[in-house]
Amino acid sequence: MGEAIVITSGKGGVGKTTTTANLGTALALQGKKVCLVDTDIGLRNLDVILGLENRIIYDLVDVIKGRCKIPQALVKDKRFENGLFLLPAAQTTDKSAVNPEQMKTLITELKRDYDYVLIDCPAGIEQGYKNAVAGADRAIVVTTPEISAVRDADRIIGLLEQEDIEPPKLIINRIRRQLMASGNALDVNDITTHLSIDLLGIILDDENVISSSNKGEPVVMDPSKLAAIGYRNIARRILGESVPLMSLNTSKIGLFGKIKSIFEK
Amino acid sequence: MTQMTKQQYVTIKGTKEGLVLRLDHKCAYSDMIAELRRKVGEDALEGLAEVQIHTGSRYCNEEELKEIVNVIHASPNLRVSKIQSDVIMIEECNHKILEKQSETYIGIVRSGQVVKADGDLVIIGDVNPNGKVIASGSIYILGRLKGIAHAGETGNIQAVIAASWLEATHLMIADKIEMMTDELTILSEHPEMECAYVHSNGFIAIDRLQELRILRPGLSSFKGGS
Repeated sequence: MGEAIVITSGKGGVGKTTTTANLGTALALQGKKVCLVDTDIGLRNLDVILGLENRIIYDLVDVIKGRCKIPQALVKDKRFENGLFLLPAAQTTDKSAVNPEQMKTLITELKRDYDYVLIDCPAGIEQGYKNAVAGADRAIVVTTPEISAVRDADRIIGLLEQEDIEPPKLIINRIRRQLMASGNALDVNDITTHLSIDLLGIILDDENVISSSNKGEPVVMDPSKLAAIGYRNIARRILGESVPLMSLNTSKIGLFGKIKSIFEK
Repeated sequence: MTQMTKQQYVTIKGTKEGLVLRLDHKCAYSDMIAELRRKVGEDALEGLAEVQIHTGSRYCNEEELKEIVNVIHASPNLRVSKIQSDVIMIEECNHKILEKQSETYIGIVRSGQVVKADGDLVIIGDVNPNGKVIASGSIYILGRLKGIAHAGETGNIQAVIAASWLEATHLMIADKIEMMTDELTILSEHPEMECAYVHSNGFIAIDRLQELRILRPGLSSFKGGS
């Protein structure tokens, strides 16, 4: 019996889908059997980030309406030997096509065959959110060091605390070290004390995330990239390892040293 | 004559604080009010006198009390200063108990959440921006108040809001509201251990928690000890 983790944020555009794709990939790299479920019905894009768009035949709504079996709708990521699957969202209907009860049944079914079921939650706190949370055992809240994102994260944590799931964990995405060091962005410490939930990890802002997403290949595949290290660390923490938090200060010197040394070659 | 030996429904007594009108509680209300009207009209008084009404074990609703006061005020010499009664309705009593009690909430009041209590409210944890705490009594927060607090919601102007860290966006006490504008924030640059109360000028003021003892001596309900 696997574990279902919902990845949510409240606010849109903070990186839920990117995080889902990368964490799923990182867990698959660790040899786990992972299924990603896109619940953003009507505005799907997890398939695009994974580069699986043109292989979709059936989708989540087809499964729920009984038009196909679950395995028929799952899209296998060929980069992994039976390690990573995607259940895409429907694009032609909207979020009201599914209800939380149906989602719960579906996720329970998936948990039987997979070690991890990662649920990509749509933005907002309406029907789509309720569907996504329905089947989850754990929750990960993604935020960025911006006040609006932190506000929404606070709201969503409040809602998650009313659900029958474990206390949510936090990922702070898109950290810009210079901005944070100069005090012009919220500090990692400020955010965690404000939200007062456990920090699961931090992801540094990295242009490679965008370019690799556009190529349909999650950034986590390339371990030399900054964001990839962050995602890999989080995956290891999900698996129960204790990995120290990426230090913002020392890695700053280290990074610049690294870049310098690359140019000096 | 039976009329003379009959027990009086309204007895008037003079004290240092003025007249005390004791109303009999066993007779019919209409008999009592008739006698009261007669006695007040006797015109035996000179000058202005303060009157205290004791209704004893009779329960008078608001309308009846109003009628009694009106009857007394019909005489130009009498002014009602106080109404005393030995009985209250169970409903009112329960309400008073609720107002006296204090409820405790442990946890963080997050954005969009509302925590509401009858009586005083003790929050052990932070109140985050857009989180709201409401009480008909005072609000005490063992944590950071960064959201909205409304004390004395039912109109208790004596209620206060005290917090380990008072950095609210809105403070409300009874029907007064204070948006924490820049000036106020500057005044309380280090908003640690502070309390908000309604100042005698009618506005919400913020002071150090230590001042609360002097500002609202009635709040302390502690008895005993040394």
